[in-house]
Amino acid sequence: MAPAVLLLLIYSVYPLVYNIWTSFHKFDPMIRDFVWVGGENWATLFSDGRALNAVRVTVLYGMLALSIELTLGLGIAMLLDAGVYARGLWQSLLILPMVTPPAVVGLMFRLLEHSEFGVISWLLYGAGVLTKQEPLLGGTGQYALFGVLLADIWQWTPFCILILLAGLKSLPIEPLEAAEVDGANGWQKFWRVKLPLLRNVLAIVILFRIIDLYRVFDYIYVMTSGGPGQRTETISYYAYQTYVFINWGYTATLGVAILIVIWLSAFIYTRLFHVEW
Amino acid sequence: MTTTTSSPTTSHTIDRTAWLRDGRMWLRTLVIVFIVAIFIFPIFFWFLASFKPFGLIFTLPPVFVFPPTFTWYSVVLGGVPYNQVMLELTGALTSTGGGMYYSVPYIIDSIVVASVSTLLVVLIGTPAAYALSRFPMRRRHDLAFWILSTRMMPVVVAAMPFFLMYRTLGWIDTYHGVILVHTVINLPLAILLLKSFFDEVPYDLDEAALVDGATRWQAFYKVIVHYVLPGLAATAILSFIFSWNEFLLTLTLTRTDIRTMPVAASTFDTATGGTEWGFLAALGTSAMAPVFIFVLLVQRHLVRGLTMGAVKG
Repeated sequence: MAPAVLLLLIYSVYPLVYNIWTSFHKFDPMIRDFVWVGGENWATLFSDGRALNAVRVTVLYGMLALSIELTLGLGIAMLLDAGVYARGLWQSLLILPMVTPPAVVGLMFRLLEHSEFGVISWLLYGAGVLTKQEPLLGGTGQYALFGVLLADIWQWTPFCILILLAGLKSLPIEPLEAAEVDGANGWQKFWRVKLPLLRNVLAIVILFRIIDLYRVFDYIYVMTSGGPGQRTETISYYAYQTYVFINWGYTATLGVAILIVIWLSAFIYTRLFHVEW
Repeated sequence: MTTTTSSPTTSHTIDRTAWLRDGRMWLRTLVIVFIVAIFIFPIFFWFLASFKPFGLIFTLPPVFVFPPTFTWYSVVLGGVPYNQVMLELTGALTSTGGGMYYSVPYIIDSIVVASVSTLLVVLIGTPAAYALSRFPMRRRHDLAFWILSTRMMPVVVAAMPFFLMYRTLGWIDTYHGVILVHTVINLPLAILLLKSFFDEVPYDLDEAALVDGATRWQAFYKVIVHYVLPGLAATAILSFIFSWNEFLLTLTLTRTDIRTMPVAASTFDTATGGTEWGFLAALGTSAMAPVFIFVLLVQRHLVRGLTMGAVKG
């Protein structure tokens, strides 16, 4: 136990303490060291339009991804649960997207969404949804966030499918039989019996998706670099940018702020939905 | 519908419901085949692109039948000079920046980092998981939550402190540096996942071993561990995959000496010419292939693994 706790302490406490300390400093490239600036970084944080934009982008991205992935995931899981031939084969194939390196997924979708010769773009142009002047990636960037979302949805819907399917398969049959005896139709069985029974599994799927969604980085880095403008700049990507530009004091400030928000929400979430290990 | 509806005999009714049930099964299967095809398409297309002759990658509508070429792999895996291939393909030297597509060194780096960190994760994580599962602890749930919370840490938040620490220690661009962070980020997964496997081993077995005069430690590694071997294998493979796919920390903590496959794939600028996609597809396919093979080995425990033991699957 001891070595594990020690390592995890290093990983969780060291960055936290270090970031808190750094958030009151500023890195001076001339003397190659940190100088004390007091609350300056924190004052910047609360008047930083770019940070606010990043929060907006992250929340929008997260909510869209979560709702689409959950809906699709639940629908497809129920379809698989209702009975299909060769279910094992489909399950195995659905694993592949989520174990593909996200950086490679970003590249794959960049090729598919390429404004000139991408297959997805070509289909969307053909269907009249988009025009070449205003493509998924590029143009004014109006749709760039959707371009990135597509990669996310492709990679993580299978996650929702497989976990929810496992949940559906382990449901007790008695309540369903009872509902049938009482004359419930398929719709009622779903909303009144299955969904409430799935509550715990749903809570876990949502928790894991949120944990990954709010720190989305790889696709953005590979596909759009946060652009055009800052239209796809998520909070993680913005923090990375401040790091790249050696604005390290401020990177730390952003980091501490993100940590506080996510730890608090996760704590409340796990208490609220009784998620336990 | 050609089934007769007029005959009320039992055998006919059974036939009809069986037919209906089969019909629905086939219908659902058809829908699933279509859905799975959509999910597999990007991988399939990318794989095909890595064998497509120069120019065909960009044809629309996309071509699916073509004489495969090994040009891209000859550079990416075979080490044929980039300039030589580009000269043959375009008749001119287009750029000088593509000399780094040869990715066998990156694959070796990836393998070293992923396997050593996985070994460490299992060695350190297994006793911890056993302790968490067995010993009476006050606030056990808080401890589990704390372990989970390290997984919530935005990687960016950890990246900068580690970068600055490594810079002081001179660990940037070293194997032990990358291996250490990969070990730490996979440890929470291993502990919580393995705990769920240990929880399934009856406590009677521990007691039997203890009564027979074994120490706690002996009971653990001589008896109990053998009951969780499948779980141990699943944990190891998942940890390997996550390390293989990890991007941001490796990107931050390495420069040129060490480069894992995802980082290598991301660093090529494709903005200038359209020709680089063949190399990229070959590189990306090489980065996916090992993971695909591994994951099919742990399918059975995948759901549990991906939820860190929370959903049994």
